[in-house]
Amino acid sequence: MFNNNYKYKFVLFFSLALCGSLYAQSDDVSPERKQAIDSLALEKVRDLSKYISIIGNKKTAFSEATRVMDRAEELFSPDSEMGVSSLNKKEVNYYKVRKYFERLMALNYDRVNIKWYDIHYISDLERQPDGRYVGVVTVYQRFEGESDDGMKYKDTTKKDITIYVERKKTQIQGRTIEFWDVLLGDIRVTETGV
Amino acid sequence: MMLTIRNSSKLIVVTFVLISAFSCQSKKKAMQASNAAEKARIEREAAEKKADAAAAELAARKAEEDKAKREAEQRLKESESKASTPAIKLGQYFSAISSSTNAASANTSINEALTLFASPETLVLIVISDSGGMKDYDKPTTIKDYLNYLKDQKKNINSVSSLKTDNAGKITELELKKN
Repeated sequence: MFNNNYKYKFVLFFSLALCGSLYAQSDDVSPERKQAIDSLALEKVRDLSKYISIIGNKKTAFSEATRVMDRAEELFSPDSEMGVSSLNKKEVNYYKVRKYFERLMALNYDRVNIKWYDIHYISDLERQPDGRYVGVVTVYQRFEGESDDGMKYKDTTKKDITIYVERKKTQIQGRTIEFWDVLLGDIRVTETGV
Repeated sequence: MMLTIRNSSKLIVVTFVLISAFSCQSKKKAMQASNAAEKARIEREAAEKKADAAAAELAARKAEEDKAKREAEQRLKESESKASTPAIKLGQYFSAISSSTNAASANTSINEALTLFASPETLVLIVISDSGGMKDYDKPTTIKDYLNYLKDQKKNINSVSSLKTDNAGKITELELKKN
């Protein structure tokens, strides 16, 4: 009798654990929630676009540019790289994002204008076996640099940005808060033109 | 003698007729007077009633006006008190910061907005989806970072959903939602 009771409890516990595990493994995000996550990730790319424009702008104070660089760097997963191309050379150079921002701030122009447009997914966020969502967003970047001595440079580059979205938990003031962490990965240059 | 008696009786009859006639006339006059008095009384009463009704109507109208005035004052009071709630004030700061044309004015608004909070590190949660009773959040941030975000991005896409305050009325936690 005692043994039977334990047997039932064990079977019940095992069944519940199995159900919980299966539920956790399933893609339990509704289309509405998935759409919100897609939008959130695109918003992060737009945020980066604005940060790059502020960092590149010669009118931005050094302290502000440094603060914005910190915020922009937070958008990336560690060791992410940014591709830099030019109409004057064939190869594309890759820099760690912090290095890229510093180089951008130090560009030898008196006026720099950077604008990103036509930001869209070329590969939708899809759930990976490890639970992360991965997708690719394409952007077009228009760069215009101009110096007082008449030096001018303009180009348009197409860039692909890998996006990682992961469900995370954090403890704040004794509370567990679950959130969607969107991180940008490498930014690859795929086309460079006038 | 007989003639005298006949004349006398004629006189009496005439006198009687005359008295009767006068009597009827005075009765008629009295009746007319009585009727006039009654008419006057009725008219007076009607006038009094009319005056009473007018006074009552005036009083009712005044009471109605007073009520409307009180309600308008109450509404004004409520809207003033509502406008001074932290959520409304915060919404105004969000709008001012994101629409600032220069960093100095944005920083002034940020510093003013921070006075509403217990600390610049106050937790800010942003709800990106609230579907089927399940809330999805963006990465938690602090109010200082969020206000700077508004300054940098110049977009005010979230509104105040709820907030918690301490005993001093300072905000200790803020929840925003996508507009």
